Parts: sequence; structure tokens; C-alpha cells
Amino acid sequence: MRRRELLKFALGAASILILPSSSAQAKHKRYAMLIDATRCYGCMACVAACAAENNVPIGVFRTWVERHVRKDGNITFVPKQCNHCENPPCVKPCPTGATFKRDDGLVLIDDETCIGCGACIQACPYGARFANPVKGVADKCTFCEHRLAKGLLPACVEACPAAARVFGDLGDPEGEVSKIVESSNVLVLKAWAHTDPKIYYRNLPKEADV
Amino acid sequence: MSLGAPLFPNELAEPILWHPVLFAYALVISGADLIILASLAYISKRMTKVIPLLLVLGVSFFSAALLGPLADLRQPSRAPLIFLLAHLSPTETNPGFSFIALYANLWLMLIVLSLAFLLFYQSYSMHLKSLTAGRLRRFYSLLSLGVKDEKRYKKLTPIITVISLLTITPAVLWGVYPSVLLVFQTWLFLWRSWVILPLIFFADTFVASTAATLLVYFIVKMGRLEEEVVNPLLKIHSAGCVSVAGLLGVQLLLWNQWFEGAEVYAAFNVVVPVIYLVIATLTLSFLLALASLKVARLSILVSVAALLGVVMNKWNTLVNGQLVSRTGLGVLDLHLPSDWLLTTLSPIAAAIFIFVILSSIFPLEVKEVGQ
Repeated sequence: MRRRELLKFALGAASILILPSSSAQAKHKRYAMLIDATRCYGCMACVAACAAENNVPIGVFRTWVERHVRKDGNITFVPKQCNHCENPPCVKPCPTGATFKRDDGLVLIDDETCIGCGACIQACPYGARFANPVKGVADKCTFCEHRLAKGLLPACVEACPAAARVFGDLGDPEGEVSKIVESSNVLVLKAWAHTDPKIYYRNLPKEADV
Repeated sequence: MSLGAPLFPNELAEPILWHPVLFAYALVISGADLIILASLAYISKRMTKVIPLLLVLGVSFFSAALLGPLADLRQPSRAPLIFLLAHLSPTETNPGFSFIALYANLWLMLIVLSLAFLLFYQSYSMHLKSLTAGRLRRFYSLLSLGVKDEKRYKKLTPIITVISLLTITPAVLWGVYPSVLLVFQTWLFLWRSWVILPLIFFADTFVASTAATLLVYFIVKMGRLEEEVVNPLLKIHSAGCVSVAGLLGVQLLLWNQWFEGAEVYAAFNVVVPVIYLVIATLTLSFLLALASLKVARLSILVSVAALLGVVMNKWNTLVNGQLVSRTGLGVLDLHLPSDWLLTTLSPIAAAIFIFVILSSIFPLEVKEVGQ
């Protein structure tokens, strides 16, 4: 009996010691994605995977791939989606707070409190939001947060055959995304808008930054 | 859609996200300016004859103001959440604040204040009406708020003055809505570039409100107009017309200064021709207003010209403004839902209906105490 009590106490103490460190770790999470435009060859596997994973209706897109012709005549494909901005302009105009920014940097929408006013859609500089014609609420990329919760990668990342998309945690200095973002010349879309996007691009053609 | 120009695929799915009902909404908001005029008239003791008409028309229009955005919601049954979960202050998860939430709550405040203004202002008239009302005697007696003589009504003057003062700030704020939302909380290219839009909206709502008042006054009086009522309105209307036309001209100059030679300059072709038409129409209304100061019956033409200009201006800003892509390079085709006209007219029809009801209760001409 005493031994059992001692064991219970030890387990309790251990959980107290472990939990704060794990929640602290969660707090430091800062999800981001790196897209290498030279690797993408426009197969649209990411678009199809996203639509299938998230029941995206036909005609609207959580992610899409743009085709840009450079001045030298070469073609570059540029995947785009919600940038999960650090300073998200879409969160401010939401009248009910249905769209919000999570601790880990994800910008999400609560379908239950969204009134479908469209203010967030008009506020997105990247055209990443849309009115979901089936649900009647605003919709956009969630970085597949339901998959992240299970330790899986976003569907678009997993589906990309060219590994053009790399997903990771900027809070982890040893992670691939952190290392590349730190060491190489990466760009973000519409940097002048001061939204601080969390989608970084390598080899982004100038024509795609519209 | 201009071929080859960069557009976002989600823009193509729904080019006009905010339907033309927003445009009707912007017209009904002119009720806020009528309330400002009524308040200023009461405080300054000028234009006193027109106060009842301004108040009744203002309250009628403004009370229908939220019907427009309600019709534009994808989840209208959740509209009360704007009040219950109002995003009015920044938090870590919800930075900033929402203009929509702020203005919805201000609407509530202003409608309560303007109704109080109307009831207190008309209390003695209601008492007089209760004396001859027959079956509705109790109803009018209730609306008289217990005022039974001139002495008691005079005692209400400080209360009415305070209420009218309190209405001015929220009404002025409403006078610039929804332009502040368009310029500061959206990323559509044209709206974002239309920096003096709040000033244009403020002046424009004065044009719309005075034009509507002149029109209603003309109809109510069957053309037998009193200069004492019409002339002050014409003067305010003229100032509004000149201001809107001038500000639109300034905006054209600014666009020219900032964007001439840039790739995005072509996008302005969507709105610039209509802006020239608006300037011409409002200039015509201004000239007619000057003529109406001598021939009062011309005021009907002043109203028609001004309302035409206001309608064109609002349509141009709110509907054409959405046709230019966020990229500033592509232009979208206008596709309107089949029921757009009915949906657009219904808030205006509701405002007119409320006016008919209120004007049958409250007199549009009140004799000043002592007259």
C-alpha cells in the first residue's frame, strides 16, 4: 500500500514536471512552410490532395498553383495558399472573433461563430480566403491542423512528388524549415504589406509577387 | 475578365462578394446625417421648422440601416453574435478590432438616442394629439411622456439638448461608414487606394440626406414650399455637392500623381469615367440649387439630379470598386445574383415604410411652444 502511494506520488510529481515543459514547448511552436518554386512542376497533386482532405467545393481553392512566364520566357509554377501571417489582416475585421490566431501561429476560423459577412475575405491581400458555398462561412487553408494534431504533415506537403513544399516548426532551430529560412535567401509574398507571412519561398519569380 | 492579367482563382469564384445591397445600405445611412442636422438645428435654434421632418425621416432611414448587411450575410441567423461576441478590443488571439462590430453597436446606441430625441421633442405635440385622438387617445398620451402643458415641455429643453448633443458623435461616425471599413480593413486594390473615401462619404451622405428631405418635403407639401424650410436645406445641399465633386477631383489628381505610368494605372479605368459623370451631375444639382433659392419649386430637380449622382457614386465605389483584382492588374466580370434588384430595394422600401408609419404618428410640422 505504501509503495503504491509512493508510486502514485512519484508519477504525479513527474507529470507536474513534464507537463509544463511540454506545454512550454507547444507554446514555442511556430508552424511555417517553405516552398521552392523551382521544384514545383505544376502537377496540381497538392491542390487535389487538399480538396480531397478538406472537402473543398469545386470552384474554390484552399491552395492553388499559379503559372508565371518569366521575362526570359521560362515558366515557373508557384503554389499559393493562406500565409498564416504573424500580423494577419483578416483577423482584425472579423466582427465576432470567429477568425483567430492560435499560439502556434495557425490562423483558423470557428465555423460555429462565423456569420459569413465576408469581411475577412475582403481583408486578405493574397486572395486566400473564400466564402464556402456549402457551409456558408469563410474558408481557407488550416495547414491541415486536424492532421498536425495526429502528428501528420499537411496533405499538400505529403502529396507533393517533388518535395517542393517543406513544412516545419520555426521554434525548432534544428528543423529543416528553420535552417533554410535562416541560412538562405527566402522571400515572402507582398512583404510591403507588413503581414509577416509564414509561407517562405525560394526562387520566387518577381512576376508571382502580385 | 481581362485575359492574361493576374487574378486569384478565389476572386473568380465570387467577383462581387458584397452585393449591391451594400449600396442601398450606404444610401439609407444618410439617416445619420439627417439626425446630425436635426441635432444641430435644435442646439443652434436655427432651421427649427424643419426639425420634425429631419428627425422622423432620419430615424426612419437609420432604423433600416442594418437590414442591408443582414441581407448580405451568409448566416443571417447568427447576426445577433455581432452584439454578443463583438470584437471590439484586441487580444492575443484576436488582434485589432472590427469596424463592423463597432458600428453595429454604435447603431444600437444611436437608434436609442435618436428615438429618445424624437419622443422628447414631440412629447407636447403628442399630448395635443391625444386630446383629439379618440380611440388612440391612450396611445398618444403614452407617447407624450406625461407632458401636459407648455411649462412642463419647456423643462425638458435641457434634456433634449443633452440628448441631441450625444447623438452627434455616433451619427458623425456613422456618416463615414462603410468607407472606413473599405479603406482600412480590406485589401481590394481600388478601395485601398481611395484614401479620401471617408471624406467623400461624409459629404455624400449630406447630399443624399438633403436631397431626400427636399423630395419628401415637396411631396408632403404638394409643391407649396416655404422658403424658410427649403433655403437652409438648399444651402447645405449646395455645400455638400461642391464638396463631393471637389473631393472626387482631388482623388483623381492623387491617383494620377501616384500611379501614372505604373502597370496598375489601367485598373482605374473601371471607375474614372463614372467619377466624371458624378462630378457633372452634382455640379448640375449645385447650379439648380442656386436657382432654387429664387424659385423654390425647382428644388424637385435639385433632388432628382443629386440622387442620380449619389446612386452613380455609390454604385461606382461599392460595386465597380470590387471588380478590380487584389493584384491591381486584372478586372473581373460583373455577375450579379438574379434577385439583386429586389434585395437592393428592400432596405430602401423598409425605410420608406417606417417613414410612412412614423409620419402618421408624429407630425412633420410642429408649432414652437409659445407660437
